[in-house]
Parts: sequence; C-alpha cells; structure tokens
Amino acid sequence: MTKTSQTSNQSALTPLSRSLQVNAHAIHTRFGGSSDLVIRLFRSDAAPERQLALIYIAGIVDADVINDSVLAPLMSMKLPSYMEETENLLIESLRACVVSVGSVKEVSTLEEALQYMADGMCLILADGSPLALLAEAGGGKDRSVDVTQTQTVIRGPQRGFVEDIGTNISIIRRIIRSPNLHVQTHKIGSQTHSNVAVLYLHGVADESVVKEMYRRLAAIDIDGVLESGYIEEFIQDESFTLFPTLMNTERPDTVAAALLEGRVAVMVDGTPIALMAPITFFSFFQSPEDFYQRFDISSFVRVIRYAAYIVSMLLPSLYIAVTTFHQEMLPTTLLISLAAQREGVPFPGLVEALLMETTFEVLREAGLRMPRAIGPAISIVGALVLGQSAVQAGIVSAGMVIIVSFTAISNFVMPEFNMAATSRIIRFGIMLMAGMLGFFGIFISLLFVLVHLASLRSFGVPYMSPIAPTAKGSGLWRDAFIRIPWWAIVMRPMDLKLRNPRRQRSARKPPAQRH
Amino acid sequence: MKLVRWLLLLMILLLTGCWNRVELNDIAIISATGIDWKDGKWILSYQVVIPRAISSQTGESGTAAVNVFSTSGDNFRFAISKASEELSRRLYFSHNQIVIIGQEAARRGIGPLMEVYLRNHDSRETVSVFLSRSDARGIMEQLIPLEQIPGAAIQRLIVNEEIGSSAFRHMAVHDALMELLGSSKATAIPGLIIAGPGEGTESVGDLGKTTTATKVRLKDLGLIQGDKLVGWVSDEQSKGVMWLSDHVERSTVSFTCADNRKGKPTSSVRILDTSTKLKPIPANGKWIVKADVEASGVLMEYNCSGDPSKPQEVEKIEKRIEEEIKGIMTDGWEAVRKHKADVLGFGALIHKRYPKQWREASANWEELFPQTEVEITVKMRLSSTGMSNQNFKEAQKKAES
Repeated sequence: MTKTSQTSNQSALTPLSRSLQVNAHAIHTRFGGSSDLVIRLFRSDAAPERQLALIYIAGIVDADVINDSVLAPLMSMKLPSYMEETENLLIESLRACVVSVGSVKEVSTLEEALQYMADGMCLILADGSPLALLAEAGGGKDRSVDVTQTQTVIRGPQRGFVEDIGTNISIIRRIIRSPNLHVQTHKIGSQTHSNVAVLYLHGVADESVVKEMYRRLAAIDIDGVLESGYIEEFIQDESFTLFPTLMNTERPDTVAAALLEGRVAVMVDGTPIALMAPITFFSFFQSPEDFYQRFDISSFVRVIRYAAYIVSMLLPSLYIAVTTFHQEMLPTTLLISLAAQREGVPFPGLVEALLMETTFEVLREAGLRMPRAIGPAISIVGALVLGQSAVQAGIVSAGMVIIVSFTAISNFVMPEFNMAATSRIIRFGIMLMAGMLGFFGIFISLLFVLVHLASLRSFGVPYMSPIAPTAKGSGLWRDAFIRIPWWAIVMRPMDLKLRNPRRQRSARKPPAQRH
Repeated sequence: MKLVRWLLLLMILLLTGCWNRVELNDIAIISATGIDWKDGKWILSYQVVIPRAISSQTGESGTAAVNVFSTSGDNFRFAISKASEELSRRLYFSHNQIVIIGQEAARRGIGPLMEVYLRNHDSRETVSVFLSRSDARGIMEQLIPLEQIPGAAIQRLIVNEEIGSSAFRHMAVHDALMELLGSSKATAIPGLIIAGPGEGTESVGDLGKTTTATKVRLKDLGLIQGDKLVGWVSDEQSKGVMWLSDHVERSTVSFTCADNRKGKPTSSVRILDTSTKLKPIPANGKWIVKADVEASGVLMEYNCSGDPSKPQEVEKIEKRIEEEIKGIMTDGWEAVRKHKADVLGFGALIHKRYPKQWREASANWEELFPQTEVEITVKMRLSSTGMSNQNFKEAQKKAES
C-alpha cells in the first residue's frame, strides 16, 4: 500500500470496475497481497456464464457463516431468469434472494468495500457488475466473557467486559432491556477505524452532555485507538490534573448503574474498559458492591474508604511534621519511644520518609510488572530485606516502616485505581512541604489541592458537587458519604441536571406484614 | 511569565530553609525541672530522658533512663541557656512533667518562675508543681520503682493521690498562677520528701531489690503567700484544707466508736462524693465563712459494736463521721490561720460576693484573714454498709451464745 492510497481513502473514491478481475486485483493490491486475504472465485448453477468472487479476510470472519449462509446458497442458487438480465440486477437479486445473512450492504466504491471487509464483512463480486455486495460475517476468535480481574466484588455480578465491543454492548442491552438505551457508534482512528460507542438512557441523560460527547469524539483525529485511555485523554475537560474526570470500569453492572443515574458511557472496541461521564470526585469512593451489600455495611465501608484515602495522602507528611516540627503534640511516652527508634538513624525524617516511600513505589511497580513465577521473591526481598533489615541496620526507624506500610495498605482500599494513584503522587509533594514547613506546609498543600479540585469540571458538572456547590434540598447528597437504603434513593444525582431526575415516585418501602 | 510565577512560588517555599525544624535525635527531652537557690544564684536542674535506655528494642539494662544535671545563673533563662555548655542536644521543655521548687528557692520567691511560664510558649502551664523539703535536685535524682521516668512517676503519684485520697491536690503551674494572681494572692503546693533511712535510690542496681531504702513521697503542704513560702502544714491538716476548699474527690476517713472523736479511730468510711459550699458573711468588719459539707460514702471497715444494718445505728455512725470530718476541717483551718495565708480562697470568695466590702478588706486582708471565723456543718450520708451486718467479733460472740 502506498502513501497516496492511504490518504485517498478520504479524498478520491475509486468506483468499482465492471471487470471482476480488475476489482479482485485492486483489492489484492490494496491489502498489499496479505496472506490472510481470501479470494474465492466460483461459478453458480444459476448463472454459469458469469464469474462470481467471494472475498474476505480469514480470521475476522466466522467460517460457518461464510460456508453455510453465503457460499452454499450462492453456489446452489436458482434464480428466476429475468433476474440475470442486467449486471446490477444480479447483485440485487443475490441480496434479495440468496445471501441468508442479516446485515448486508451494497457498495459501489473500492474504498467502501475495503473498509467493510476490514470490519469483518465478506465481499461478493459479480463479473460485469459495478456494484458489490457485502454480507456480515463477523466472528473469529475472541476471549469469552469471563470473571472480572480488576474490580472484584464479594456480592454482585461477576462477569466483566471483553475486548469485543459488540459483545460488550450486548451485555448492557441484556441488563437494561429498554428501547431507551440508545447506542451511537463512531469510527475513530484513520488506521484502526475502531468502533467507539456512546451509550445513554434516552429521556434520562442530559442531552447537552450527550451532544457534547459527540462533539468531542468527532473532533478526535488520530491514526489509532487501542484503548479507552486514548479517548479519555482526548475528551476529558482538563488535561493537566492528577484527578480523573472520567471514570473507567471493567464491570457491566457499573456501566449499567451509571447509565441509570443518567450518565453517558463510552465503549471502545478492543478493550474491556468502558468510560463514564460526567463524574464527580465522590463517585470514585463508591464501589459497585456498595449498592449490593446492606446499606449499613456499605456506609461503614465508605467512611473507611475516605479515611483511608486521607491516610494514604497525608500519613507520612503528618509523621514528618510531628516528629520534626511539632514534637509537643505527641504523648510523652510515644515521643520517647519514637526518639529511641531514631537514635542513630543518619538521615533527617524527610529524607528517611522519601527513601522508604520511593522504595515502596519501586517494589509495587516491580510486583506489578514481573512474571508471576518470581512473585514470592519480590515479597521476600521487599518484606525482609528492605523492611526488617533496613531497621536493623539503622538506616530507617521502625516507626517509619510502619507508617509507610500503613500508607501503602490504605491506598489499596480505594476501589478506583486512577483515584488511588492521585494520593500516591500528591503524597510526595505534601511530604516535601511538611519537611519544610511542618503542619503549615501540609495545610498550604491541602489548600492547593482543594482549590484545584473545586476548579475541575467533568462535562460541565462541578467535580466537587454535591459538596461544592452544595446541593440544596435533595437528600441524595448524602450518598456521597454514606449509602442510604435503596428505597430512600428517590432521586438521581441532582448535579447532573437530568431530564428525568426521579428514580422512584416516592420513598416507600413495602410495609412488612406482621402475623 | 507563568513559569516565572511558579518559580517564584517555589522559591518562596524552598528558600525559607527549614524554619524551626529539629529532628527527634537532636533534642533532649526533659521530664522534670528543679529549682534551687544557693549562694545567691538560681540553680536549675534538669532530668533528661535517655530514650535509648527506655526503648524495649534497644533497651540497655543497667543504665538509668534519665540523667540529671544542673546549671546556675542570676535568672532562669540565662541559666537554661548555659545548658548548651554541657549538653550535646537542645533542651526540650514541652514534655516536662513536673517542676520541683526547693524550700530555699520557694522562700526566696517563685515570682521569677511564674514570669518564665507566663512569657514563654514552650513552658507549658499544665506542668505539675511541687515543693521540696530538701533541695529539688536531690529528689530528681531518685529512681522510682514501676516507672522508668521519675518525673512522670511523680506526676502520676499526685494524680493518683488526688483521686484516691485527696490529702493533696494536683497543682499545675496554671492553677498556682490563677490563685496567686487572684484576690487571695496565696496558694498551697504539695511537698515532696525523700523518706527512709538510706542514702537514696539513685542507681538502677538499687531497683533490683524487693525494697528500696528510700522513697520519694508526698509530705506536707507548702503555703505560699505572695510568691514566698510561708510555712508547711501536715498531711492531716492538708486534708482539712482540701476539704475546706472543695478539692476532695474521694477519700477515706477513719472514725471512732464513740461520739466527739473519743477513743481510737478503729473504723473507716470511704467517701465517694463530697462537696463543700462556702458562704462568707460580713460581721462587724470581720468575716464569718460558713462551710456546708455534703458527703456520701460506704462503710469499709467497722470495728465497733452495734448493728449497722439498723437505721438508728446508721444515723449514729453518720454523726460520728460528720464530727470526724468537721474535726479534720477545723484542724486544717487552724493551721492555715496560723500562717496567715489565704490558700482557701476566702478572699476571692468575698471579692465575688461583696465587691464593695472587699475593696476595704483587701487592703489589710492579711490581718483580717486570721480573724475570720469558720462555721462548719457536715451532712454525711452513708449509702451502703457493705456486704456484712455486724462486726466480725460481734458475729463470733453471737455464734457462741
């Protein structure tokens, strides 16, 4: 394939030739003589004088469909004689009477034909006809629907998305069985032509957000989209922020829940990760399981999550600030115990903390990337050598190891990886500030973070809502910190400005009958 | 331009240096401070905690957990600043638990000490304050069983005493300041002595035995008038003082089998709740203070005849206890009156209730105070007589017959 032919895709369209030979050759050339391109020439009983060709790319089509629904009927077709008269009528009649496949298309240009073939359709050419027939035969090997790996729950559906967007949309369709579930597919990527689907609940979601989503997606000009992360970086409101303004998930039930709340979901072909917007800061502290477990358990766990997030962001900084600036704040016995541990430690508290934090981040990344077989080795090196021995060797104090460990564990509590990562990164900045200015530094940093958070928007929705701006009158804002019982969740999140904010007509629990 | 702004911001933060950063191993944590007056100079003693000796991990047995040393100077802060001549770390006073004032220093006046506490932020006013019969440094050198840091041990001692027996009251510097700056200008501070015949418990080896030759214990209440120590009252009198000034929380009172405190006090009652209401009444230029005590408690020990399960008997017992408490309070009052130090806060009381009269009285309050009459009424309520009825001996006799 030459460079010019690549660009000609958009500009000049080549009409199909009447000669099958020419067309087949052109297709063969455009695919660069790829070995997986199958060109099957054959003649049919019905029109023995005209050569037919079935062209498809092996591997992305379903062989059964090709054989049973396309090739077999074509070869054994019986056509009324009048149908053979004109060239185009043959193709028409093939579509009407022969090819027993649901989705078929007629095209007249080479580029269109090529595009649909790349999508998994098979091409039927007839000699002497400038039209070509495309029949849907998509298939091929793909991962089957499996248990989610990244976002596990104890109670709740276990299946996760797969790489195939069709399967993924069908899973959502099976959860939300409503014609109101609208799906709009776009193709993004001048080379990959990836399907990007926008899903929303018509009549619930804010139409302006849907329109804005289309607008932003349409503006993307890139050669390929391999993962929803590509899309996320294009369509997020603010690039230079640590905080994610789109949520991603591997779980169909999470997407369904988001759609029911009036959010818009984006799915990208080739990845099991879907995007959701608009999203607020507090959504990242909700696990799908919160809504399946009893509300009291969920509320408790949610409070724990906020605490853990704060701990994972601030604990090392607080330790540094207290031990190097505000020793008077500690109980005397604790101070003496900490002082005893610090005896003989050569580094200042800040350096000690940075050292251990960096070590942990390295360990964590190593644990993530290494082959599974050497996992235990990392644990031993991490726990024994770096933890225990570092203390015994007097490089770091035991208290610091506890602080770093607890900080790390707290970070794993977060249900969303990208939100958990924010605290990991901000932690280092705050540690530096705490090492320089103590509590004062911590508060300056927190002020910065807070101001930044308040400035963020996700598709026009303030990131910190419903706290800033404070939602008035709706009891739902409590959903940010605790989970109220399902029968009390009457309204959808108010900050989304939905067309239909009501989930239930009224907060009514079926009264229990006592005997 | 934006970059420059960010750089400036970064410089503001970075160029501050590290402000008043100090690492934990650069400070000497002080657990007790002692103040003595000797040869015309203030001697300040510091009890420095040695963390390494306390830590369970690196604990080196055989070393004392604290080290005591002194500096001297014409004033407090100058003496403290001289500590750097003999100590490798910065003195850190924020965790100081107690301050002990030697008798000589207290007679000289504790004004300079109060001044230091009022002016500096690192000297906490929650520190417990004690007087010492001997020099303060001697007490700070004593090791105390059970606790590793003697300063903290003495601090816990007074707290335990306050809630357990209430013969002494936990005096924080703050409390002393309030009273000395109040209308009465007098306060009472518990005293410490080294009791016992030995040479002192100063080495860790001494703690290895089942008994120590000497102990640090609370003894006598020092009365401070103005800012000077004017005298001591005994432990028993101190309890009376505490009762008069409503500082008794819980206590044990022993009483006799006969009325009017006659005979040996063989029985005892645990006072669980008591309150004292003082009411000053002007009387011909003098003052009468009415003290109404309400107390309740349980019978703990009863070695008298009579059956305490009978209401009449209980009333008798209550009356004897009332007399006993009244006696204790009268003793306390007489002792304080003798020293002419209004540690009971009568002055403040009158000031609050009769501001006009106080204006005249305050001028010569020191003369007026000892002439004040105190009328004590006690109402005792015995809420329980315990799990047995008669006294053990009585029960034995009954079994014989």
